Amino acid sequence: MNNLYSQTILDHYAHPRNWGRLPSPDIVADSDDPSCGDQVHLEIALGPDGRVAQVAFEGEGCMISMASASLFTEHLQGKRVEDLEALTEEEVLGWLDAPIPPNRRACALSPLVALRAGLKAYRRTAPTGG
Amino acid sequence: MLDIKRVRADFPALSRTVHGHPLVFLDSAASSQKPLPVLEAMERVYRECYANVHRGIYAFSEEATLAYENARDRVASFINAPVRESIIFTRNTTEAINLVAYAWGRTHIRSGDRILLTEMEHHSNLVPWQLLAQETGAQLVYLPITDNGLLRMDLLDSLLDERVKLVAVTMMSNVLGTVNPVKEIVRRAHAAGAVVLVDAAQAVPHMPVDVQDLDCDFLAFSGHKMCGPTGIGVLYGKEALLEAMPPFLGGGDMIRKVEWESATWNRLPWKFEAGTPAFVEGIGLGAAVDYLTGIGMEAIAAHERELTAYAMERLSALPGLNIIGPPAHQRGGVVAFTFRGIHPHDVAHMLDMEGIAVRAGHHCAQPLHRRLGLTATVRASFYLYNTAEEVDALAQALERIGAMMGQSL
Repeated sequence: MNNLYSQTILDHYAHPRNWGRLPSPDIVADSDDPSCGDQVHLEIALGPDGRVAQVAFEGEGCMISMASASLFTEHLQGKRVEDLEALTEEEVLGWLDAPIPPNRRACALSPLVALRAGLKAYRRTAPTGG
Repeated sequence: MLDIKRVRADFPALSRTVHGHPLVFLDSAASSQKPLPVLEAMERVYRECYANVHRGIYAFSEEATLAYENARDRVASFINAPVRESIIFTRNTTEAINLVAYAWGRTHIRSGDRILLTEMEHHSNLVPWQLLAQETGAQLVYLPITDNGLLRMDLLDSLLDERVKLVAVTMMSNVLGTVNPVKEIVRRAHAAGAVVLVDAAQAVPHMPVDVQDLDCDFLAFSGHKMCGPTGIGVLYGKEALLEAMPPFLGGGDMIRKVEWESATWNRLPWKFEAGTPAFVEGIGLGAAVDYLTGIGMEAIAAHERELTAYAMERLSALPGLNIIGPPAHQRGGVVAFTFRGIHPHDVAHMLDMEGIAVRAGHHCAQPLHRRLGLTATVRASFYLYNTAEEVDALAQALERIGAMMGQSL
């Protein structure tokens, strides 16, 4: 049972990084999967150079979704909005350092679902941003 | 008493290993494994006499038709239906309930009418009635449950006023395991002038069900949960009600005569079976009924009762494990639980790593889970082929998961 639940996943689940909210985020995103109850709330603040300066998350859900969201906040640092938009599912799965079977991909990808929704909303309100 | 070794030998899939461990299959409430006689019956049709039923004037078609219609007779006697015309083959329980919601509901339910459901219904006995209510202006009313998952029978009569035209209730909850007093509900509903549909998806596979004794008006179940194939289910309906209902789906087989502008309908049961039916699956279901009858539904029910009581005893001894639903003597072979605040998907996944198949989630009963204050549960469910050793394997694996999580968190 240790294969799936890699040390990375257990560690990030037990000690989530960047937990909380930001004072004035530029991008705010939520995902909510009623089928399993996974909820991820993601906040991103951009620096003057347009790159990600701060990320924070809160959420509730299974170990994989919560570990993924925690890892997510670390990996987004310094990226431009275009980089965030280009982020692929495979990249996110790679961060988890464990084979994620097909029926758990949705858990691992819930922060990405949140991010994509947040980016769309961000583009609508700040069309020239990034 | 079941000869469990012999039973298990009938199910080829049970001898598999998963992730290097012997398979422990505890998800039969979702769908059961299949015994050899079912697989063989279906293969025989495909190999020896496969042809479309009902219309062919040649030997193959006659043989297939005979086998298919013979399966209907066996299903009828399995639930003690008075006539074979009462047995409509559908895809599954869901389609059977939708058939009633569509064909009976749209001719009998009007604005202001009420449909009485319970708080423990599966989505398939909930959403069809929501659609009907939205379309007709009828109102859905729910018989509440107690915190440990029993129907509030004390509130039934007060809810059964003259506005209630239909009561739709599960015979056994797929989450709580609760076996409901359906016969009593039917009696009181009839006294109040309501028609009763019974969702028997979890009941017919696991206990003797007698539709004449229950006196229910409609009863629905699925083949795949009772050792039969997917794609075949059953709607039992009282003949007079079915006679008076318009068809559900239009097409071939369900017609008597078709004109350019209109058509007349075939007799029962075919009036409700449009298009080429899943007749190989129907024949498979007939074989499943024979298989279950050969073992004996009383013996199967007794085996599951014993296993459930043992599982509840073993699991409730684990620290942090909380079983949902009533005590063992009020339930069938379903045990849903939460464990130490670990998300049910994680629990199920870690069990899978040890070859143990359980279900995790809301089990198609989101409102029930909200009522219980939960988003999801882990569910172990038992059938005739499960053993006390498998319950032990589950309990031991949960112990290991508990220990591992205790270390890492």
